[in-house]
Amino acid sequence: MMASSYNAKEEDGRNSNSSTHGGAAVAKSKKPDNTAFKQQRLPAWQPILTAGNVLPAFFVIGLIFIPIGIGLYVTSNNIREIEIDYTGSESGSPCNDCSTNFTWNTTTPCICTVNFTLNQPFEGNVYMYYGLSNFYQNHRRYVKSRDDSQLNGNIKSLKEPSKECEPYRTDPVTKKPIAPCGAIANSLFNDTLELFHNEPNGRTTAVPLAKRGIAWYTDRTVKFRNPVGDNLSEVFKDTEKPMNWMKPVYELDPSDPENNGFINEDFIVWMRTAALPTFRKLYRIIHKNSSSTLTLPSGSYTLKVAYNYPVSSFDGRKRMILSTISWMGGKNPFLGIAYITVGSICFFLGVVLLIIHHKYDSRNNSADIPN
Amino acid sequence: MVKILYLLDCYPQLYCPGQLNMYFSKKAFVWCMLHSCYSSLVLFFIPWGAIQDTVRDDGRDIADYQSFASLAQTCLLVVVSAQLCLDTYYWTTVNHFFVWGSLAAYFAITFTMYSNGMFLIFTSIFPFIGTARNSLNQPNAWLTMFLTSLLCVLPVVALRFILMQIRPTINDRVRYKMQKDTLPAPPPRRPVRRVSTRRSGYAFSHSQGYGALVTSERFLFKRPIKSRLAFSVQPDGPLARNLPQVFRPIAEELHESQSSKS
Repeated sequence: MMASSYNAKEEDGRNSNSSTHGGAAVAKSKKPDNTAFKQQRLPAWQPILTAGNVLPAFFVIGLIFIPIGIGLYVTSNNIREIEIDYTGSESGSPCNDCSTNFTWNTTTPCICTVNFTLNQPFEGNVYMYYGLSNFYQNHRRYVKSRDDSQLNGNIKSLKEPSKECEPYRTDPVTKKPIAPCGAIANSLFNDTLELFHNEPNGRTTAVPLAKRGIAWYTDRTVKFRNPVGDNLSEVFKDTEKPMNWMKPVYELDPSDPENNGFINEDFIVWMRTAALPTFRKLYRIIHKNSSSTLTLPSGSYTLKVAYNYPVSSFDGRKRMILSTISWMGGKNPFLGIAYITVGSICFFLGVVLLIIHHKYDSRNNSADIPN
Repeated sequence: MVKILYLLDCYPQLYCPGQLNMYFSKKAFVWCMLHSCYSSLVLFFIPWGAIQDTVRDDGRDIADYQSFASLAQTCLLVVVSAQLCLDTYYWTTVNHFFVWGSLAAYFAITFTMYSNGMFLIFTSIFPFIGTARNSLNQPNAWLTMFLTSLLCVLPVVALRFILMQIRPTINDRVRYKMQKDTLPAPPPRRPVRRVSTRRSGYAFSHSQGYGALVTSERFLFKRPIKSRLAFSVQPDGPLARNLPQVFRPIAEELHESQSSKS
């Protein structure tokens, strides 16, 4: 009895005797099809690590990385950059008065000037950045404190901002909603920087600074939109300005309606929160002249600062950076040095592996697997 | 798969790594943890160094929170795929499809999530609009990814190669032998009357003390008198008399076989 019931489970799929099943239909074979896929006989590439592929790989990688690293390092060295720190925390520095006498409710901004010299001329487009240190724009509660719907021009979010903006959601005095709400918008950088060239003949000319084209294209055209309406002050009339701002949002740039309101490019650049506590953000662009003259010839320059942004309370520092650009971005020798280091280590490791392989290969060739 | 079973029949020493807990022990876990610590440090600090104080090639921001996150995430995906490729020993069409397909799916999903459409429909859920487009078109980003993936994978390759040369395991030797000379064709399959329940005994072969259970009446209905298995049972051996078997410890066997070669 047991033998016959065992027959039905046999793997070679022989049909069981119909007599034992009392006239029922013949049992279907459960054996899978004899295809390469179902029988796991697919053709396979079976790579293993042999000396023939590992050692050349190490040498080739070393030989590729070192020239790339040298190229990156040389490119980075050719970028011109100058940093002017104008925090004014030391007693002898030009902006010390503005820094120590800072008050919140002031109508006249404190102006300070810093003189500096460019030893080498800057060619091509020159980019002007403001840099902050010890400013943690990557703090989690700070990063969440914004309302992207409101900044996209949604009328409902304009009147009722998101709860994430607390405590910068409604004005404590007038109880009106704040536009734009949140801590990021509230801490907008509001120093004004101007650059003057002191020519050798005694004249002082202002360097033309372009304020458009500093934000990402997708931010400027898709992410940030003004609420629909012709007159911006009408659209924003039932809202309040953020508590730390001196002007409301529809007066950020009255001269240019494409740069006013939420689509103001300085505002957009600030709202793109930085990843690290020491960061720089694009402020203005000095376009290159169509003629062959240098954009910024070497010589004496003056930086005029309207000092509105207090940083001494958190030991922060402020600086202005002038920099040229290459295909790899700004001046950053890290990648070049990293590539050179990794390439050299790779090459050296290849040599070490070659020695190990030579020493142990003869032993392995004679060895065989015992049966 | 058929080849693997045949290999196990030819070289029964291939069962040894499993029984010695070579790949699933505290030592293996410690190595895994060290490797992951190293990879995590590389995956954070290389993108950090690459975007610190630098900008895009048109002067605009690259060091913002969203671009840094996107770059680190893409580096991670590339490193994980590279590690997976290192650990895959049989590359069939299916393997190729899933490995390259998952990388492609990652990029497709990323670009979809960071697209204009998703932002306009679900504004608060997808705030990363434009990040993939603006950070992944930088040569800086791709150079960083290349460096990170190689820095994470090359130590593993070097270590494996060194261990294969100095102390080859039975797996390495069999694979090398398979590649070097083709094995003889497996004998034609005779219709072997296999007792399917005998296979379940293998599950207990890893630990001591199950010999009595496996050879008891609960698992074996009827022992066929003419057995054609590779390991045939002696008629008067301990198995037939339903007693637990005593085997030589495996470490001794391995030692003997190694000493016989050198």
